[in-house]
Amino acid sequence: MRSEVVCVKDPIPGQLETRPALKVRPFVIATGVAATILALALPFFGATFAITLATEIMISGLFASGINLLVGTTGLVSLGQAMFLGLGGYGIGIGSSLLEAPLWLSIPCSLVAVAIVAAAIGAICTRTRGVEFLLITLAFSQMFYGAAIKLRLTNGSDGMSGIPRPDLSALGLSCDDPAIFYYYVLAVTAITLLVLWRIVESPFGSVLASIRENERRTAAMGYAVGHYKIGAFVLAAMLCAVAGILQSQYTYFINPDSMSWQLSGEGVLMVIVGGANAALGPMIGAAIFILVKQGLSMVTTEYLMFFGIFFMLVVAFFRGGVFGAVRSLIGARP
Amino acid sequence: MSALEIRNLRKAFGGLEVIANLSLTIPFGQRHAVIGPNGAGKTTLFNLVTGWLSPSSGDIRIDGVPVGCGRPDRVARNGLSRSFQKNMLLENLTVLENLRIACQALHRSRRSLFRARTAFGEIIAKAGSVAERMNLSDCLHRSVKELSYGQKRQLEVAIALCAEPRILLMDEPAAGTSPQERGRLVSLINALPRDLTIVLVEHDMDVVFAICDVITVLSYGKLLVTGTREQVQNHPAVIEAYLGRHHA
Repeated sequence: MRSEVVCVKDPIPGQLETRPALKVRPFVIATGVAATILALALPFFGATFAITLATEIMISGLFASGINLLVGTTGLVSLGQAMFLGLGGYGIGIGSSLLEAPLWLSIPCSLVAVAIVAAAIGAICTRTRGVEFLLITLAFSQMFYGAAIKLRLTNGSDGMSGIPRPDLSALGLSCDDPAIFYYYVLAVTAITLLVLWRIVESPFGSVLASIRENERRTAAMGYAVGHYKIGAFVLAAMLCAVAGILQSQYTYFINPDSMSWQLSGEGVLMVIVGGANAALGPMIGAAIFILVKQGLSMVTTEYLMFFGIFFMLVVAFFRGGVFGAVRSLIGARP
Repeated sequence: MSALEIRNLRKAFGGLEVIANLSLTIPFGQRHAVIGPNGAGKTTLFNLVTGWLSPSSGDIRIDGVPVGCGRPDRVARNGLSRSFQKNMLLENLTVLENLRIACQALHRSRRSLFRARTAFGEIIAKAGSVAERMNLSDCLHRSVKELSYGQKRQLEVAIALCAEPRILLMDEPAAGTSPQERGRLVSLINALPRDLTIVLVEHDMDVVFAICDVITVLSYGKLLVTGTREQVQNHPAVIEAYLGRHHA
Protein backbone atom coordinates (compact mmCIF):
# COMPACT_ATOMS: atom_id res chain seq x y z
CA MET A 1 0.00 0.00 0.00
CA ARG A 2 2.91 2.32 0.70
CA SER A 3 3.72 2.68 -2.97
CA GLU A 4 0.18 3.86 -3.62
CA VAL A 5 0.30 6.65 -1.07
CA VAL A 6 -0.03 10.01 -2.76
CA CYS A 7 2.31 12.56 -1.19
CA VAL A 8 1.18 16.07 -1.88
CA LYS A 9 3.67 18.90 -1.74
CA ASP A 10 1.48 21.81 -2.69
CA PRO A 11 -1.41 22.63 -0.41
CA ILE A 12 -4.07 22.69 -3.08
CA PRO A 13 -7.43 21.78 -1.60
CA GLY A 14 -8.49 19.53 -4.45
CA GLN A 15 -5.30 17.51 -4.24
CA LEU A 16 -5.22 17.34 -0.48
CA GLU A 17 -8.66 15.79 -0.41
CA THR A 18 -7.38 12.94 -2.54
CA ARG A 19 -6.95 9.85 -0.44
CA PRO A 20 -4.64 7.02 -1.37
CA ALA A 21 -6.26 5.19 -4.25
CA LEU A 22 -7.50 1.78 -3.25
CA LYS A 23 -7.52 -1.13 -5.64
CA VAL A 24 -10.20 -2.68 -3.47
CA ARG A 25 -12.90 -0.13 -4.24
CA PRO A 26 -14.50 -2.25 -7.03
CA PHE A 27 -14.42 -5.24 -4.65
CA VAL A 28 -16.16 -3.25 -1.90
CA ILE A 29 -18.78 -1.91 -4.32
CA ALA A 30 -19.41 -5.37 -5.76
CA THR A 31 -19.78 -6.83 -2.27
CA GLY A 32 -22.18 -4.05 -1.27
CA VAL A 33 -24.32 -4.54 -4.40
CA ALA A 34 -24.37 -8.32 -3.89
CA ALA A 35 -25.36 -7.91 -0.21
CA THR A 36 -28.14 -5.49 -1.12
CA ILE A 37 -29.54 -7.82 -3.81
CA LEU A 38 -29.31 -10.76 -1.39
CA ALA A 39 -31.06 -8.81 1.38
CA LEU A 40 -33.86 -7.67 -0.93
CA ALA A 41 -34.34 -11.09 -2.51
CA LEU A 42 -34.13 -13.19 0.67
CA PRO A 43 -37.91 -13.39 1.30
CA PHE A 44 -38.42 -14.71 -2.25
CA PHE A 45 -36.24 -17.78 -1.85
CA GLY A 46 -35.55 -18.10 1.88
CA ALA A 47 -37.58 -20.18 4.31
CA THR A 48 -39.44 -18.39 7.13
CA PHE A 49 -36.69 -19.55 9.51
CA ALA A 50 -34.05 -17.80 7.40
CA ILE A 51 -36.16 -14.63 7.22
CA THR A 52 -36.65 -14.46 11.00
CA LEU A 53 -32.95 -15.20 11.54
CA ALA A 54 -32.02 -12.36 9.18
CA THR A 55 -34.47 -10.08 11.02
CA GLU A 56 -32.81 -10.94 14.34
CA ILE A 57 -29.37 -10.31 12.84
CA MET A 58 -30.38 -6.85 11.63
CA ILE A 59 -31.88 -5.87 14.99
CA SER A 60 -28.84 -7.14 16.89
CA GLY A 61 -26.56 -5.50 14.34
CA LEU A 62 -28.28 -2.18 14.89
CA PHE A 63 -27.87 -2.57 18.65
CA ALA A 64 -24.18 -3.43 18.17
CA SER A 65 -23.76 -0.42 15.85
CA GLY A 66 -25.03 1.81 18.66
CA ILE A 67 -22.46 0.26 20.99
CA ASN A 68 -19.78 0.66 18.34
CA LEU A 69 -20.32 4.43 18.18
CA LEU A 70 -19.08 4.47 21.77
CA VAL A 71 -16.59 1.59 21.75
CA GLY A 72 -15.09 1.75 18.27
CA THR A 73 -15.50 5.38 17.30
CA THR A 74 -15.11 7.20 20.63
CA GLY A 75 -13.15 4.64 22.63
CA LEU A 76 -15.64 4.38 25.51
CA VAL A 77 -16.43 0.78 26.47
CA SER A 78 -19.91 0.62 27.97
CA LEU A 79 -21.64 -2.30 29.64
CA GLY A 80 -24.94 -0.46 29.96
CA GLN A 81 -26.27 -0.01 26.45
CA ALA A 82 -28.99 -2.64 26.89
CA MET A 83 -30.56 -0.12 29.27
CA PHE A 84 -31.38 2.05 26.23
CA LEU A 85 -32.51 -0.94 24.18
CA GLY A 86 -34.95 -1.68 26.99
CA LEU A 87 -35.99 1.95 27.38
CA GLY A 88 -36.79 2.10 23.65
CA GLY A 89 -38.89 -1.03 23.96
CA TYR A 90 -40.64 0.13 27.12
CA GLY A 91 -41.21 3.56 25.56
CA ILE A 92 -43.20 2.10 22.67
CA GLY A 93 -44.80 -0.41 25.08
CA ILE A 94 -46.07 2.31 27.39
CA GLY A 95 -46.97 4.62 24.52
CA SER A 96 -48.71 2.27 22.13
CA SER A 97 -49.67 -0.73 24.25
CA LEU A 98 -50.64 0.96 27.54
CA LEU A 99 -51.72 4.44 26.42
CA GLU A 100 -52.84 3.22 22.98
CA ALA A 101 -51.12 6.08 21.19
CA PRO A 102 -50.42 5.57 17.47
CA LEU A 103 -46.93 4.40 16.52
CA TRP A 104 -46.13 7.61 14.62
CA LEU A 105 -46.45 9.37 17.98
CA SER A 106 -45.12 6.79 20.42
CA ILE A 107 -41.93 6.01 18.49
CA PRO A 108 -40.64 9.64 18.30
CA CYS A 109 -41.73 10.26 21.91
CA SER A 110 -39.88 7.14 22.98
CA LEU A 111 -36.71 8.26 21.18
CA VAL A 112 -36.89 11.77 22.63
CA ALA A 113 -37.37 10.33 26.14
CA VAL A 114 -34.35 8.06 25.63
CA ALA A 115 -32.28 11.03 24.40
CA ILE A 116 -33.18 13.05 27.53
CA VAL A 117 -32.40 10.16 29.89
CA ALA A 118 -29.15 9.44 27.99
CA ALA A 119 -28.08 13.09 28.20
CA ALA A 120 -28.60 13.07 31.98
CA ILE A 121 -26.80 9.75 32.47
CA GLY A 122 -24.13 10.66 29.93
CA ALA A 123 -23.36 13.91 31.74
CA ILE A 124 -22.38 11.81 34.77
CA CYS A 125 -20.81 8.79 33.05
CA THR A 126 -18.62 10.73 30.62
CA ARG A 127 -16.81 12.41 33.49
CA THR A 128 -15.10 9.04 33.94
CA ARG A 129 -13.07 6.91 31.55
CA GLY A 130 -11.77 3.36 31.13
CA VAL A 131 -12.88 0.82 33.72
CA GLU A 132 -14.70 3.50 35.72
CA PHE A 133 -16.85 4.35 32.69
CA LEU A 134 -17.59 0.68 32.12
CA LEU A 135 -18.64 0.19 35.75
CA ILE A 136 -20.76 3.32 36.04
CA THR A 137 -22.70 2.46 32.86
CA LEU A 138 -23.18 -1.04 34.24
CA ALA A 139 -24.46 0.44 37.53
CA PHE A 140 -26.99 2.66 35.76
CA SER A 141 -28.11 -0.27 33.63
CA GLN A 142 -28.70 -2.42 36.72
CA MET A 143 -30.60 0.45 38.31
CA PHE A 144 -33.01 0.63 35.36
CA TYR A 145 -33.21 -3.16 35.24
CA GLY A 146 -34.25 -3.16 38.90
CA ALA A 147 -36.78 -0.41 38.30
CA ALA A 148 -38.31 -2.30 35.36
CA ILE A 149 -38.80 -5.34 37.61
CA LYS A 150 -40.35 -3.35 40.46
CA LEU A 151 -42.50 -0.75 38.71
CA ARG A 152 -46.18 -1.34 38.11
CA LEU A 153 -45.98 0.87 35.02
CA THR A 154 -43.70 -1.68 33.31
CA ASN A 155 -45.72 -4.62 34.64
CA GLY A 156 -42.79 -5.90 36.70
CA SER A 157 -40.94 -9.03 35.68
CA ASP A 158 -43.92 -10.17 33.55
CA GLY A 159 -43.15 -7.39 31.11
CA MET A 160 -45.49 -5.81 28.58
CA SER A 161 -47.12 -7.65 25.73
CA GLY A 162 -49.20 -6.63 22.72
CA ILE A 163 -46.63 -4.19 21.34
CA PRO A 164 -47.93 -3.30 17.89
CA ARG A 165 -46.17 -3.52 14.55
CA PRO A 166 -46.78 -0.87 11.90
CA ASP A 167 -50.21 -0.95 10.31
CA LEU A 168 -49.75 -1.34 6.55
CA SER A 169 -53.32 -2.43 5.80
CA ALA A 170 -53.79 0.65 3.60
CA LEU A 171 -51.20 -0.90 1.27
CA GLY A 172 -52.85 -4.28 1.51
CA LEU A 173 -49.92 -5.60 3.55
CA SER A 174 -49.62 -6.99 7.05
CA CYS A 175 -46.53 -6.62 9.20
CA ASP A 176 -47.51 -9.87 10.93
CA ASP A 177 -46.19 -11.56 7.81
CA PRO A 178 -42.49 -12.33 8.59
CA ALA A 179 -41.44 -11.26 5.10
CA ILE A 180 -43.16 -7.87 5.35
CA PHE A 181 -41.80 -7.30 8.84
CA TYR A 182 -38.36 -8.26 7.49
CA TYR A 183 -38.60 -5.51 4.86
CA TYR A 184 -39.72 -3.03 7.53
CA VAL A 185 -36.68 -3.90 9.68
CA LEU A 186 -34.43 -3.83 6.61
CA ALA A 187 -35.64 -0.31 5.71
CA VAL A 188 -35.21 1.01 9.27
CA THR A 189 -31.77 -0.62 9.55
CA ALA A 190 -30.59 0.74 6.19
CA ILE A 191 -31.75 4.30 6.98
CA THR A 192 -30.28 4.20 10.51
CA LEU A 193 -26.93 2.86 9.31
CA LEU A 194 -26.82 5.49 6.58
CA VAL A 195 -27.39 8.22 9.16
CA LEU A 196 -24.77 6.65 11.44
CA TRP A 197 -22.27 6.47 8.58
CA ARG A 198 -22.83 10.16 7.81
CA ILE A 199 -22.27 11.05 11.47
CA VAL A 200 -19.06 9.01 11.71
CA GLU A 201 -17.74 10.59 8.50
CA SER A 202 -18.72 14.13 9.59
CA PRO A 203 -16.51 16.69 11.39
CA PHE A 204 -18.30 15.66 14.61
CA GLY A 205 -17.34 12.04 13.92
CA SER A 206 -13.73 12.99 13.37
CA VAL A 207 -13.67 14.68 16.79
CA LEU A 208 -14.96 11.44 18.33
CA ALA A 209 -12.12 9.58 16.59
CA SER A 210 -9.71 12.16 17.95
CA ILE A 211 -11.06 11.60 21.48
CA ARG A 212 -10.55 7.85 21.02
CA GLU A 213 -6.98 8.41 19.90
CA ASN A 214 -6.00 10.99 22.50
CA GLU A 215 -8.51 12.76 24.70
CA ARG A 216 -5.96 15.15 26.20
CA ARG A 217 -4.69 16.26 22.82
CA THR A 218 -8.25 16.76 21.58
CA ALA A 219 -8.98 19.10 24.49
CA ALA A 220 -5.70 20.94 23.88
CA MET A 221 -6.77 21.50 20.26
CA GLY A 222 -9.75 23.49 21.54
CA TYR A 223 -12.57 20.94 21.68
CA ALA A 224 -14.93 20.75 24.65
CA VAL A 225 -14.34 17.02 24.94
CA GLY A 226 -17.06 16.48 27.55
CA HIS A 227 -19.77 17.87 25.26
CA TYR A 228 -18.72 15.62 22.40
CA LYS A 229 -18.67 12.56 24.64
CA ILE A 230 -22.19 13.34 25.87
CA GLY A 231 -23.27 13.82 22.23
CA ALA A 232 -21.83 10.41 21.30
CA PHE A 233 -23.47 8.86 24.36
CA VAL A 234 -26.89 10.24 23.39
CA LEU A 235 -26.59 9.20 19.73
CA ALA A 236 -25.45 5.70 20.74
CA ALA A 237 -28.38 5.45 23.17
CA MET A 238 -30.84 6.47 20.44
CA LEU A 239 -29.45 3.84 18.07
CA CYS A 240 -29.84 1.19 20.78
CA ALA A 241 -33.38 2.47 21.41
CA VAL A 242 -34.25 2.04 17.72
CA ALA A 243 -33.03 -1.57 18.03
CA GLY A 244 -35.14 -1.91 21.20
CA ILE A 245 -38.25 -0.65 19.42
CA LEU A 246 -37.73 -3.13 16.57
CA GLN A 247 -36.96 -5.94 19.02
CA SER A 248 -40.14 -5.33 21.02
CA GLN A 249 -42.19 -5.19 17.79
CA TYR A 250 -40.51 -8.38 16.57
CA THR A 251 -41.52 -10.30 19.72
CA TYR A 252 -44.65 -8.16 20.44
CA PHE A 253 -43.20 -8.10 23.94
CA ILE A 254 -40.73 -6.35 26.23
CA ASN A 255 -39.53 -7.46 29.67
CA PRO A 256 -36.67 -6.52 32.03
CA ASP A 257 -34.36 -9.15 30.51
CA SER A 258 -33.89 -6.85 27.54
CA MET A 259 -32.07 -4.48 29.93
CA SER A 260 -29.75 -7.10 31.38
CA TRP A 261 -26.02 -6.54 31.48
CA GLN A 262 -25.55 -9.87 29.67
CA LEU A 263 -27.23 -8.37 26.63
CA SER A 264 -24.88 -5.36 26.81
CA GLY A 265 -21.96 -7.80 27.04
CA GLU A 266 -23.19 -9.69 23.99
CA GLY A 267 -23.39 -6.39 22.10
CA VAL A 268 -19.77 -5.55 22.97
CA LEU A 269 -18.76 -9.06 21.89
CA MET A 270 -20.48 -8.57 18.53
CA VAL A 271 -18.53 -5.33 18.04
CA ILE A 272 -15.21 -6.98 18.91
CA VAL A 273 -15.84 -10.05 16.75
CA GLY A 274 -17.13 -8.09 13.77
CA GLY A 275 -14.58 -5.30 14.04
CA ALA A 276 -14.74 -2.10 16.04
CA ASN A 277 -14.27 1.19 14.24
CA ALA A 278 -15.70 -0.23 11.00
CA ALA A 279 -19.14 0.74 9.76
CA LEU A 280 -20.22 -2.80 8.90
CA GLY A 281 -18.20 -4.53 11.63
CA PRO A 282 -21.04 -4.68 14.20
CA MET A 283 -23.49 -6.03 11.61
CA ILE A 284 -21.00 -8.75 10.62
CA GLY A 285 -20.34 -9.45 14.31
CA ALA A 286 -24.08 -9.79 14.96
CA ALA A 287 -24.45 -12.18 12.03
CA ILE A 288 -21.55 -14.34 13.24
CA PHE A 289 -22.78 -14.25 16.84
CA ILE A 290 -26.33 -15.31 16.00
CA LEU A 291 -25.42 -17.86 13.34
CA VAL A 292 -22.72 -19.53 15.46
CA LYS A 293 -25.00 -19.60 18.50
CA GLN A 294 -27.83 -21.04 16.42
CA GLY A 295 -25.59 -23.54 14.64
CA LEU A 296 -23.86 -24.81 17.78
CA SER A 297 -27.12 -25.08 19.73
CA MET A 298 -28.43 -27.48 17.05
CA VAL A 299 -25.34 -29.70 17.37
CA THR A 300 -24.81 -29.84 21.12
CA THR A 301 -26.52 -28.86 24.33
CA GLU A 302 -23.13 -27.71 25.66
CA TYR A 303 -22.98 -25.11 22.94
CA LEU A 304 -21.98 -22.28 25.30
CA MET A 305 -18.62 -23.94 25.99
CA PHE A 306 -17.78 -24.18 22.26
CA PHE A 307 -19.20 -20.75 21.78
CA GLY A 308 -16.67 -19.37 24.30
CA ILE A 309 -13.78 -21.19 22.62
CA PHE A 310 -14.85 -19.85 19.22
CA PHE A 311 -14.85 -16.26 20.44
CA MET A 312 -11.53 -16.65 22.21
CA LEU A 313 -10.02 -17.80 18.92
CA VAL A 314 -11.58 -14.91 17.01
CA VAL A 315 -10.31 -12.36 19.53
CA ALA A 316 -6.85 -13.98 19.62
CA PHE A 317 -6.32 -14.27 15.87
CA PHE A 318 -8.41 -11.44 14.40
CA ARG A 319 -7.36 -8.37 16.34
CA GLY A 320 -9.36 -6.02 14.14
CA GLY A 321 -12.30 -8.42 14.15
CA VAL A 322 -13.48 -10.38 11.14
CA PHE A 323 -14.03 -7.18 9.15
CA GLY A 324 -10.49 -6.05 9.97
CA ALA A 325 -9.10 -9.42 8.89
CA VAL A 326 -10.94 -9.25 5.56
CA ARG A 327 -9.71 -5.69 5.11
CA SER A 328 -6.09 -6.76 5.71
CA LEU A 329 -6.54 -9.70 3.37
CA ILE A 330 -7.60 -7.50 0.48
CA GLY A 331 -5.02 -4.86 1.35
CA ALA A 332 -7.32 -2.00 2.26
CA ARG A 333 -6.39 0.73 4.69
CA PRO A 334 -8.72 1.59 7.60
CA MET B 1 -1.19 44.66 27.47
CA SER B 2 0.98 41.59 28.08
CA ALA B 3 0.56 38.31 26.23
CA LEU B 4 0.87 36.39 29.45
CA GLU B 5 0.71 37.74 32.95
CA ILE B 6 1.24 35.57 36.01
CA ARG B 7 0.78 37.08 39.44
CA ASN B 8 1.66 35.48 42.79
CA LEU B 9 1.02 32.00 41.42
CA ARG B 10 1.18 29.14 43.86
CA LYS B 11 0.51 25.46 43.34
CA ALA B 12 0.81 22.79 45.98
CA PHE B 13 0.03 19.08 45.80
CA GLY B 14 -0.79 18.33 49.41
CA GLY B 15 2.24 19.45 51.40
CA LEU B 16 4.49 19.70 48.34
CA GLU B 17 4.73 23.21 46.99
CA VAL B 18 5.60 22.94 43.28
CA ILE B 19 5.16 26.60 42.30
CA ALA B 20 5.87 29.20 44.96
CA ASN B 21 4.64 32.77 44.62
CA LEU B 22 5.66 33.09 40.98
CA SER B 23 5.13 36.33 39.09
CA LEU B 24 6.06 36.68 35.43
CA THR B 25 5.07 38.99 32.59
CA ILE B 26 5.68 38.10 28.96
CA PRO B 27 5.01 40.78 26.34
CA PHE B 28 3.64 40.02 22.87
CA GLY B 29 6.19 38.79 20.36
CA GLN B 30 8.76 37.74 22.95
CA ARG B 31 10.61 34.43 22.65
CA HIS B 32 10.80 33.36 26.27
CA ALA B 33 12.43 30.25 27.70
CA VAL B 34 11.63 28.74 31.06
CA ILE B 35 14.50 26.58 32.23
CA GLY B 36 15.41 24.80 35.40
CA PRO B 37 16.50 21.40 36.67
CA ASN B 38 14.09 18.44 36.75
CA GLY B 39 11.34 19.06 39.29
CA ALA B 40 11.69 22.85 39.05
CA GLY B 41 7.97 23.14 38.18
CA LYS B 42 8.23 24.00 34.48
CA THR B 43 5.64 21.53 33.18
CA THR B 44 3.38 22.29 36.15
CA LEU B 45 3.60 25.95 35.19
CA PHE B 46 2.54 25.04 31.63
CA ASN B 47 -0.32 22.94 32.95
CA LEU B 48 -1.51 25.84 35.10
CA VAL B 49 -1.28 28.35 32.27
CA THR B 50 -3.20 26.07 29.87
CA GLY B 51 -5.99 25.31 32.34
CA TRP B 52 -5.09 21.65 32.95
CA LEU B 53 -4.43 22.37 36.62
CA SER B 54 -6.05 24.89 38.91
CA PRO B 55 -3.72 27.07 40.98
CA SER B 56 -3.78 26.95 44.78
CA SER B 57 -3.70 30.74 44.64
CA GLY B 58 -2.70 33.52 42.28
CA ASP B 59 -3.82 34.79 38.93
CA ILE B 60 -3.00 33.94 35.31
CA ARG B 61 -4.13 36.19 32.45
CA ILE B 62 -3.78 35.59 28.74
CA ASP B 63 -4.06 38.89 26.87
CA GLY B 64 -5.81 40.24 29.97
CA VAL B 65 -8.34 37.39 30.16
CA PRO B 66 -8.21 35.18 33.27
CA VAL B 67 -7.51 31.50 32.58
CA GLY B 68 -10.53 29.30 33.31
CA CYS B 69 -9.51 26.29 35.33
CA GLY B 70 -10.47 22.86 34.01
CA ARG B 71 -11.23 24.14 30.51
CA PRO B 72 -8.07 23.79 28.38
CA ASP B 73 -10.28 23.93 25.28
CA ARG B 74 -11.27 27.51 26.13
CA VAL B 75 -7.64 28.46 26.68
CA ALA B 76 -6.81 27.08 23.22
CA ARG B 77 -9.70 29.00 21.66
CA ASN B 78 -8.53 32.15 23.45
CA GLY B 79 -5.31 32.08 21.47
CA LEU B 80 -2.91 30.05 23.60
CA SER B 81 -1.80 26.75 22.16
CA ARG B 82 0.68 24.19 23.42
CA SER B 83 2.79 21.26 22.39
CA PHE B 84 3.52 18.47 24.84
CA GLN B 85 6.70 17.08 26.35
CA LYS B 86 5.68 13.55 25.31
CA ASN B 87 4.09 13.15 21.90
CA MET B 88 0.31 13.54 22.14
CA LEU B 89 -0.63 12.64 18.61
CA LEU B 90 -3.54 10.83 17.01
CA GLU B 91 -1.31 7.86 16.25
CA ASN B 92 -3.68 5.79 14.12
CA LEU B 93 -4.71 8.67 11.87
CA THR B 94 -2.79 10.26 9.01
CA VAL B 95 -0.74 13.44 9.37
CA LEU B 96 -3.33 15.31 7.29
CA GLU B 97 -6.16 14.07 9.51
CA ASN B 98 -4.26 15.16 12.65
CA LEU B 99 -3.83 18.64 11.21
CA ARG B 100 -7.32 18.80 9.72
CA ILE B 101 -8.93 17.96 13.07
CA ALA B 102 -6.74 20.54 14.78
CA CYS B 103 -7.68 23.23 12.22
CA GLN B 104 -11.35 22.29 12.47
CA ALA B 105 -11.39 23.11 16.21
CA LEU B 106 -11.79 26.81 15.52
CA HIS B 107 -14.10 26.40 12.53
CA ARG B 108 -17.90 26.63 12.60
CA SER B 109 -18.09 23.11 11.16
CA ARG B 110 -16.70 21.44 14.28
CA ARG B 111 -20.16 20.36 15.45
CA SER B 112 -21.49 19.52 11.99
CA LEU B 113 -23.18 16.13 12.10
CA PHE B 114 -24.20 15.30 8.56
CA ARG B 115 -21.76 17.01 6.18
CA ALA B 116 -18.69 15.11 5.06
CA ARG B 117 -15.46 16.10 6.80
CA THR B 118 -13.86 16.59 3.40
CA ALA B 119 -16.55 19.11 2.36
CA PHE B 120 -14.71 21.97 4.06
CA GLY B 121 -11.91 22.72 1.62
CA GLU B 122 -10.64 25.75 3.54
CA ILE B 123 -9.83 23.59 6.56
CA ILE B 124 -7.92 21.10 4.45
CA ALA B 125 -6.06 23.93 2.69
CA LYS B 126 -5.12 25.40 6.08
CA ALA B 127 -3.91 21.99 7.30
CA GLY B 128 -1.80 21.71 4.16
CA SER B 129 -0.32 25.15 4.69
CA VAL B 130 0.63 24.36 8.31
CA ALA B 131 2.18 21.08 7.14
CA GLU B 132 4.23 22.97 4.58
CA ARG B 133 5.38 25.46 7.22
CA MET B 134 6.56 22.60 9.44
CA ASN B 135 8.09 20.65 6.54
CA LEU B 136 5.57 17.82 6.70
CA SER B 137 4.06 18.16 3.22
CA ASP B 138 5.71 15.01 1.93
CA CYS B 139 4.05 12.75 4.46
CA LEU B 140 0.51 14.10 4.65
CA HIS B 141 -1.12 10.79 3.86
CA ARG B 142 1.14 8.68 6.03
CA SER B 143 -0.09 7.31 9.32
CA VAL B 144 1.52 9.06 12.32
CA LYS B 145 2.80 5.66 13.43
CA GLU B 146 5.01 5.56 10.33
CA LEU B 147 6.77 8.88 11.07
CA SER B 148 10.26 9.23 12.49
CA TYR B 149 10.57 10.64 16.01
CA GLY B 150 11.79 13.97 14.69
CA GLN B 151 8.81 14.24 12.34
CA LYS B 152 6.50 13.46 15.24
CA ARG B 153 8.01 16.36 17.20
CA GLN B 154 7.46 18.60 14.17
CA LEU B 155 3.85 17.41 14.01
CA GLU B 156 3.43 18.23 17.72
CA VAL B 157 4.33 21.84 16.98
CA ALA B 158 2.31 21.85 13.75
CA ILE B 159 -0.86 20.77 15.59
CA ALA B 160 -0.37 23.57 18.08
CA LEU B 161 0.00 26.06 15.21
CA CYS B 162 -3.30 24.97 13.63
CA ALA B 163 -5.20 26.94 16.29
CA GLU B 164 -3.60 30.16 14.94
CA PRO B 165 -2.34 31.01 18.42
CA ARG B 166 -1.04 34.37 19.54
CA ILE B 167 0.93 32.55 22.23
CA LEU B 168 2.63 29.21 21.67
CA LEU B 169 3.83 27.12 24.60
CA MET B 170 6.31 24.40 23.70
CA ASP B 171 7.25 21.80 26.27
CA GLU B 172 10.69 20.41 25.37
CA PRO B 173 10.07 20.33 21.60
CA ALA B 174 13.56 18.99 20.86
CA ALA B 175 13.56 16.28 23.53
CA GLY B 176 14.83 12.95 22.19
CA THR B 177 15.70 14.24 18.73
CA SER B 178 18.99 13.71 16.88
CA PRO B 179 21.31 16.75 16.33
CA GLN B 180 20.12 16.99 12.69
CA GLU B 181 16.45 16.82 13.67
CA ARG B 182 17.09 19.38 16.41
CA GLY B 183 18.74 21.78 13.97
CA ARG B 184 15.82 21.43 11.54
CA LEU B 185 13.28 21.99 14.32
CA VAL B 186 15.09 25.12 15.53
CA SER B 187 15.11 26.53 11.99
CA LEU B 188 11.40 25.81 11.61
CA ILE B 189 10.57 27.48 14.93
CA ASN B 190 12.73 30.49 14.11
CA ALA B 191 10.91 30.84 10.79
CA LEU B 192 7.56 31.33 12.60
CA PRO B 193 6.14 34.87 12.45
CA ARG B 194 7.85 37.29 14.87
CA ASP B 195 4.54 38.50 16.30
CA LEU B 196 3.90 35.01 17.68
CA THR B 197 4.79 34.90 21.37
CA ILE B 198 6.70 31.73 22.18
CA VAL B 199 7.23 30.30 25.64
CA LEU B 200 9.61 27.39 25.61
CA VAL B 201 10.59 24.82 28.20
CA GLU B 202 13.80 23.12 27.14
CA HIS B 203 16.77 21.38 28.71
CA ASP B 204 19.02 21.78 25.67
CA MET B 205 20.67 25.16 26.19
CA ASP B 206 21.79 25.40 22.57
CA VAL B 207 18.15 25.20 21.50
CA VAL B 208 17.18 27.79 24.12
CA PHE B 209 19.88 30.23 23.04
CA ALA B 210 19.07 29.68 19.35
CA ILE B 211 15.39 30.54 19.80
CA CYS B 212 14.81 32.74 22.84
CA ASP B 213 15.50 36.38 23.71
CA VAL B 214 14.60 36.18 27.38
CA ILE B 215 15.14 33.35 29.83
CA THR B 216 13.45 32.65 33.16
CA VAL B 217 15.15 30.24 35.52
CA LEU B 218 13.09 28.23 37.98
CA SER B 219 14.38 26.18 40.85
CA TYR B 220 12.11 24.21 43.17
CA GLY B 221 9.13 26.25 41.99
CA LYS B 222 10.78 29.60 42.74
CA LEU B 223 11.85 32.16 40.19
CA LEU B 224 15.62 32.63 40.36
CA VAL B 225 16.06 35.20 37.62
CA THR B 226 14.54 36.55 34.43
CA GLY B 227 16.78 38.18 31.87
CA THR B 228 18.74 38.00 28.68
CA ARG B 229 21.15 35.21 27.88
CA GLU B 230 24.09 37.18 29.29
CA GLN B 231 22.26 38.19 32.46
CA VAL B 232 21.22 34.62 33.13
CA GLN B 233 24.61 33.15 32.29
CA ASN B 234 26.36 35.52 34.66
CA HIS B 235 23.91 35.22 37.52
CA PRO B 236 25.67 33.46 40.43
CA ALA B 237 22.53 31.68 41.65
CA VAL B 238 21.90 30.24 38.21
CA ILE B 239 25.48 29.13 37.78
CA GLU B 240 25.29 27.35 41.06
CA ALA B 241 21.82 25.86 40.58
CA TYR B 242 21.70 24.94 36.97
CA LEU B 243 24.03 26.01 34.21
CA GLY B 244 27.42 25.19 35.64
CA ARG B 245 30.64 26.89 34.69
CA HIS B 246 30.62 25.66 31.08
CA HIS B 247 28.12 28.31 30.02
CA ALA B 248 29.35 30.99 32.37
